[in-house]
Amino acid sequence: MSQEYAVIGKSVPRNDGWDKVTGKAKYTGDLKFPNLLVGKILTSPHAHARILSIDTSEAEKLPGVKAVITHEDVPSVKYGISPARWDENIFCIDKVRFVGDKVAAVAAVDEETVYKALKLIKVEYEVLPAVFDPFEAMREDAPLVQEEYPRNINTEIHQNFGDVDKAFAEAYYVRTDRFKGQRTYQSPIEPHSAISHWDRDKLTIYSSTQSPHYFQYYIAREFGLPMGSVRVLKTHIGGGFGGKLEPTGLEFAGAALSKLTGRPVRMFYDRHDMFAHNRGRHAQFMELKTGVDKDGKILAVHANFVMDGGAYTSLGVASAYYAGALLTIPYEFDNYKFDMFRVNTNLPACGAQRGHGHPQPRFAFESHLDNIAQELGIDPVEIRLRNARKSQTTTLNEFKVETCALTEALEKARDLSNWREKKGKLTSGRGIGIGVGSFVSGAGYPIYRTDLPQASAVIKVNEDGSEVTLYSGSVDIGQGSDTVLCQMAAEAMGYLYEKIRIVSADTELAPHDFGAYASRQTLMSGAAVKQAGEEVKAQLLEISAPGMGVTAEELDCREGIIFVKANPEISRTFGEVAREFFVKKGPLVGRGVYHVPKLGGKFKGAAVGTSPAYSFAAQIAEVNIDEETGEVKIEEVWDVHDCGKVINPALLHAQVHGAFYMGMGESVWEQVLFDDKGRIINANLAEYRLPTALDMPRFHSDLVDTIDPNGPWGVKEVGEGATTPVMGCISNAITDAIGVRINSLPLSYEKVWRAIQERKKNKSGE
Amino acid sequence: MYLPDFEYYQPKSLAEACRLMTKFGSRARILAGGTDLLHKMKHEQLAPEVIVSLKGLKRLKEITYQKGVGVIIGALATQNDIAGSALLQEKYLSVCEAAHHMANNQIRNVGTLGGNIVNAVPSADLPPILIALGARIRLMGNKGERVMPLEEFFTGVHSSVIEADEILTEVIIPDQPSTGSTYIRFGLRRSGALAVVAVAAAVTMEGQTCRDVRIALGAAAPVPMRARQAETVLSNRVITDDLLEEAGVCAARECSPRSSIRGSEEYRRDLVRVLTRRALQKAIKEGHV
Repeated sequence: MSQEYAVIGKSVPRNDGWDKVTGKAKYTGDLKFPNLLVGKILTSPHAHARILSIDTSEAEKLPGVKAVITHEDVPSVKYGISPARWDENIFCIDKVRFVGDKVAAVAAVDEETVYKALKLIKVEYEVLPAVFDPFEAMREDAPLVQEEYPRNINTEIHQNFGDVDKAFAEAYYVRTDRFKGQRTYQSPIEPHSAISHWDRDKLTIYSSTQSPHYFQYYIAREFGLPMGSVRVLKTHIGGGFGGKLEPTGLEFAGAALSKLTGRPVRMFYDRHDMFAHNRGRHAQFMELKTGVDKDGKILAVHANFVMDGGAYTSLGVASAYYAGALLTIPYEFDNYKFDMFRVNTNLPACGAQRGHGHPQPRFAFESHLDNIAQELGIDPVEIRLRNARKSQTTTLNEFKVETCALTEALEKARDLSNWREKKGKLTSGRGIGIGVGSFVSGAGYPIYRTDLPQASAVIKVNEDGSEVTLYSGSVDIGQGSDTVLCQMAAEAMGYLYEKIRIVSADTELAPHDFGAYASRQTLMSGAAVKQAGEEVKAQLLEISAPGMGVTAEELDCREGIIFVKANPEISRTFGEVAREFFVKKGPLVGRGVYHVPKLGGKFKGAAVGTSPAYSFAAQIAEVNIDEETGEVKIEEVWDVHDCGKVINPALLHAQVHGAFYMGMGESVWEQVLFDDKGRIINANLAEYRLPTALDMPRFHSDLVDTIDPNGPWGVKEVGEGATTPVMGCISNAITDAIGVRINSLPLSYEKVWRAIQERKKNKSGE
Repeated sequence: MYLPDFEYYQPKSLAEACRLMTKFGSRARILAGGTDLLHKMKHEQLAPEVIVSLKGLKRLKEITYQKGVGVIIGALATQNDIAGSALLQEKYLSVCEAAHHMANNQIRNVGTLGGNIVNAVPSADLPPILIALGARIRLMGNKGERVMPLEEFFTGVHSSVIEADEILTEVIIPDQPSTGSTYIRFGLRRSGALAVVAVAAAVTMEGQTCRDVRIALGAAAPVPMRARQAETVLSNRVITDDLLEEAGVCAARECSPRSSIRGSEEYRRDLVRVLTRRALQKAIKEGHV
């Protein structure tokens, strides 16, 4: 056992585990308040229509209804999460832009009354022509979803690094492939809900959110309140995956309804509402052109993409930039061109979903690279080894990569999976494939422009030294950050994990932090927590040094014992010194703050993709295809991650398992489907098929060690990066099994069946 | 989502239940497990004014064997009752298997045999294997009862020969000469997925010769259907792999699947071919599995 650290690096039990397992944990929708009202939003049945009139009088007359509101009752300030494109209103004013757009809301004494009241609201619409396909939407004659975006182009990106054309001209082999992604939805198990209470001049909102800070910022802005008058907090969260990062109508409408009624209002989405609100994965249309030398070394890449953004911007500007920005990270090359159109359609708005913008392009690139390897007769692992990024390099789009153990990860995955014995030697219907991935350990810049630090933390030691409370604005949405941050606090202070409580994700009680997105908390929140812990420790050592006959520098503290480093026999307990500190000097408090150093280049969009550190992963999957039915069975997977120092191995491997599970679903099973009127036809968990536990393969999660100097104790991320290699990996394994490439996601049983039929037909036609 | 208001009756006898159904006719619906009815009511697809619950009729949950008649499964037996029945496991494991792979455990704990039949959905899991085993059903109505082959019950999607006052009370699997039966369903994930196509087969083998065979297809037509042409291919023939493939091709030709989000017509047709061959192989080789 390593003696270097006392608390980190150990799989301590989660501090919310007991409550969750026993059912004691309360989620937002479980909370009860005196006089609580229930509220719900009326949404549009049309994909595109002008609102001619709204008559709420019948709904208002229904006994039990306390308030009915429309756009006339709320501020008309536009909001969004990307400041570049604020394009949403609390309720639609002139027209609705997708089936599910927000039109009105009701608060009543119970759910049944709410549903009945919604049916009594009469909205007169003039139905307008709608557009559902991004390519059609870009035509001159297409209906405009948002008047301010000509040809429905919401975001347009053209980046050019090096000399792509020259490199293509000089390349030994140039290949172009086209791939298509699909719309998927995060599907957290906990539906969104928010309880708003506007009590005199204070608005308090309990919300199932990934970021109390952004909610506080946008809600205060919308209602013209100082941020201090808005308190956003959460209880337990049943998953977010990017879908709970931006405020929804639940918070805005709930606040307005509470102000009107003077009572707390619980607003909620049901499963169908969640799919309609969406903010899930964009469907991307991806053309990749790559030139290589005869050894398969990548010389130049041109990524030419279009993404279906749905009706609003959401986080889509960032998604669009991420799609191209992160393609440069795992492999080293010098010439790169990235073109992107994010296009509005009359479908639910897309946003950030685990891996933000990157997993579909990564699927495309990993598939494309395998096609190149096959053409050149190079082993897929070998071509990746030849191109893999090294530590202390800078990408062509100016991301500094301090540590990268992708080469070691590739070699380890290759060896663990027995790749050499399997590749090209498996029986018919079986296949093996590889994919790599990487991700930011926190975005270098916050979502809106501000000079606030990324994270901060306060640690307060109880007066008698018997317990410690960590205050952090970070947000545990199920990934385990409360546990990991308490471990980090204990390590930094020299204290015991079991004795630390955490108050997190509360804009009033905890200090500022941007929250759970971009895989940022272990590194960024962790850096602030470490600093706060070290400040506590320094104060304790300082005050105990004279009595122990040494200087503070000669002391250390570990697991609650302060001792002389040269002679550990001489010691005092953390508790008694902490009590002494309080008696003599008052509260023992440590503070920490984390700012990201200035990162990135100067070109347009240079900020997206910057990060203090990058994770890397190599993943190999073995699949078994039923060649008659197309059924895909993923048999066994080996994942090797470079994610820096690991704080809690059990939680880390759980993240990798979960990320694989999500990526696997997107690879084979999941797709949000619409009818020709823009209505979702599978907005439920029966027909939107998330895989089940029975579909999971044998799974091996392994690590290569790096210590990144930019993270506390050398940490990097794992939560999102672990999703990025999956689709490419499974795509390559399926291709290996059936001998043909399917270029569109998901790689469903029927598509696999069809590909096999066509292969047979082509063979017999030869 | 909420349940609309309705009147609720819980009769103590079948006769009383039938009287209530006669009285209320199409204004009433029978509640057994409720997995289909309550879902539809919450989603505003059905709004019956009256609910007649069969939950008081405990005898309809029983699974028994009656000599000279066969296995009698009460219509209120849940899918888990069927999957776990020692009697069925011994005689027709294929029926237990069909029930065991339906939906998920929570649904199987409440969903009933009767509901699975009376709802008349093309993808229902229990009808094909019961049809393959020649099952009959007993319908109790105000004018008395009638017994008929299950195969003749269905007339279309969500429609059957049942009268407004009638209640399905039991399914009878007669003693039979068949030597093997099986049910294969193809879903789009391992659990919690409706069948895209399902095939049930029951065979009577004499050495390598097939003396009799019944093949029933699920989700391959508006109703669970017999693949009679495929059966003809096999009847009184010595079984070979080629013959089984021929039967599959035949079944694929005679079925009439539709395209839906779960599968195109041509995909389903080819699945019928493959699964018919596999079901026959399994029933011939392994018995009632």
